[in-house]
Amino acid sequence: MSPGPAPILEIRQVSKFFGGLAANSDVSFSMSEGMILGLIGPNGAGKTTLFNCITGYYPPSRGEILFKGERMNGLTPDQVCKRGMVRTWQKVRPLAKLSVLDNVVVGALVRTNSVPEAREIAHEQLRVVKLDHKDGFLAGGLPIGERKKLEVARVLATRPSLLLLDEVMGGLNPAESEDIIQLILEIKERGLTQMVIEHDMKAIMRISDRIVVLNSGEKLAEGAPQEVVSNPEVVTAYLGEAHV
Amino acid sequence: MPPTPRPRGLAVLPVVLGVAFVVALAVFPKFVESPYALQMMVLFFLAVIQGEAWNLIGGYGGQYSVGHAAYFGIGAYTVIVLLQSRGIAPWWGLAPALALAVVVAAVVGSLTFRLRGPYFVLASIAVAEIFRLAALNWKDLTNGAEGILLSEIPPLVVGGVLVTDFSTKVPFYYMGLALAVVTVLVTVWFQGSKLGYYLQAIREDQDAANSLGIPLTFYKNVALMISAFFTAFAGALYGLYVGFIDPQTALGLDISVQIVLTAIIGGIGTVLGPVIGAALLVALSEALRSNLLTDALIGSGVVDASSGVGQFLRDNLSHAHMLIYGVLVALTILFMPDGVLGAIKNQVRKRRTRAAAGGAA
Repeated sequence: MSPGPAPILEIRQVSKFFGGLAANSDVSFSMSEGMILGLIGPNGAGKTTLFNCITGYYPPSRGEILFKGERMNGLTPDQVCKRGMVRTWQKVRPLAKLSVLDNVVVGALVRTNSVPEAREIAHEQLRVVKLDHKDGFLAGGLPIGERKKLEVARVLATRPSLLLLDEVMGGLNPAESEDIIQLILEIKERGLTQMVIEHDMKAIMRISDRIVVLNSGEKLAEGAPQEVVSNPEVVTAYLGEAHV
Repeated sequence: MPPTPRPRGLAVLPVVLGVAFVVALAVFPKFVESPYALQMMVLFFLAVIQGEAWNLIGGYGGQYSVGHAAYFGIGAYTVIVLLQSRGIAPWWGLAPALALAVVVAAVVGSLTFRLRGPYFVLASIAVAEIFRLAALNWKDLTNGAEGILLSEIPPLVVGGVLVTDFSTKVPFYYMGLALAVVTVLVTVWFQGSKLGYYLQAIREDQDAANSLGIPLTFYKNVALMISAFFTAFAGALYGLYVGFIDPQTALGLDISVQIVLTAIIGGIGTVLGPVIGAALLVALSEALRSNLLTDALIGSGVVDASSGVGQFLRDNLSHAHMLIYGVLVALTILFMPDGVLGAIKNQVRKRRTRAAAGGAA
């Protein structure tokens, strides 16, 4: 790589073992500020495990995670969030008995002790994801498409510099997916860095600046979207039948 | 039909009603002198204090502690032991009692809050049992199973003026009322604060809360410490009021269960739920104790007094409060998972929806 500005996130030879099983082994890559990195791979490739290692849910068994030059190994999820790195969940986790607005207020409170101020931030972020008209609804009653948006609004309210989105388009219809794609591109324009796990290849090709392919816990390929999809190893391992 | 947004601020009507209710309670002893009525009211206030206190960590935070008897007993024992064996007046003894409860809460919380769900519940029960067994066996300090009988409370004199000599129930009535009002106000504040938001987030989903920057154990601990403070305060008042404590009445498991019930029956995670729960439970336990329920059953002709069933009820129902509580919990959880207050709110909402639908048609 050309000697540009220091990367915002560096994954250095990260391995995660569960007993004898290597969910991630020797994964390395880095992200520069403002980019969207697509993380793809077949089911069980270790994408979500890597998210969990990066955001403090599991300590990596080996290797190092550097965010803005600081070592993240051993930090708890809340400490990682305070430093500006926050994730969404593949299976959405709305705070069901709180209103849509209050869900986002909870996110905003990480940067302020004032509830009125947090409410202002929350309203602002709900407008960004176009969910402001539902602010009084209970989060548990939203349809899946809106839950995914709520999830994004909630992490945006924590004022992160790096977002990790775990299948935010999973289970959505094409129109809803398109909404999310536009949202991700809009977030990029605001200068936020994003790592995106996604199964929809068309979507990932459109939004990613770079793609990392995981297979059986190892990094199989990395490069620009076009490069990656034309890589024969990736085609056999992952895209397989669909592209033959 | 979109659900109505839930306002978080203070609406005018509830505040006016609340103030009117408190004023009515404040003048109550001026008109009613019956010690029996005052006794019921003191028990009601004590139940409100404990229910509201538990509600902070259990209702808002979803951490179902069934060990709050520990804090209740610490409050009662510390004040009574200091008064009886050291002659320290209770208003001074209160400070170490409350401080001790808060410190114990911090230690217990740090140890047990890493546990989730039923494991946390079991740990909380175990902790309270440790305190009960300690009180039972540390005879030099606590007089063991015989308990401590309070000989007298010194008169409270402020600036040469006698405030009260504690010879009637009235001073306890006002102390109970004042503390009950304070716990309700603390709950109102809590609900709208960062602490309240964080506890509710923890109740809904601990992992999600954690990922949004909430250090789980820290916030659970803070809520438990506030909760323990008021529970111990209630314990101290109870000990002074009754004038006798032993390990069973101050630290028994049924105290913990009763505290949880007060909140669950009324409606957890709401400001007024524990108040309603306290009123219902105090009335129920009195009806059981005085055999009111048996008399009603026999009087209405449902059960024949001379029959075996009638005799059995008369002999046993008054001691069966734990059994009845158990049945109540099961019924509440099955049919009114949001408590009495929640069930009423749901009914009102349904009726409104129906009215709106009818109006539109």
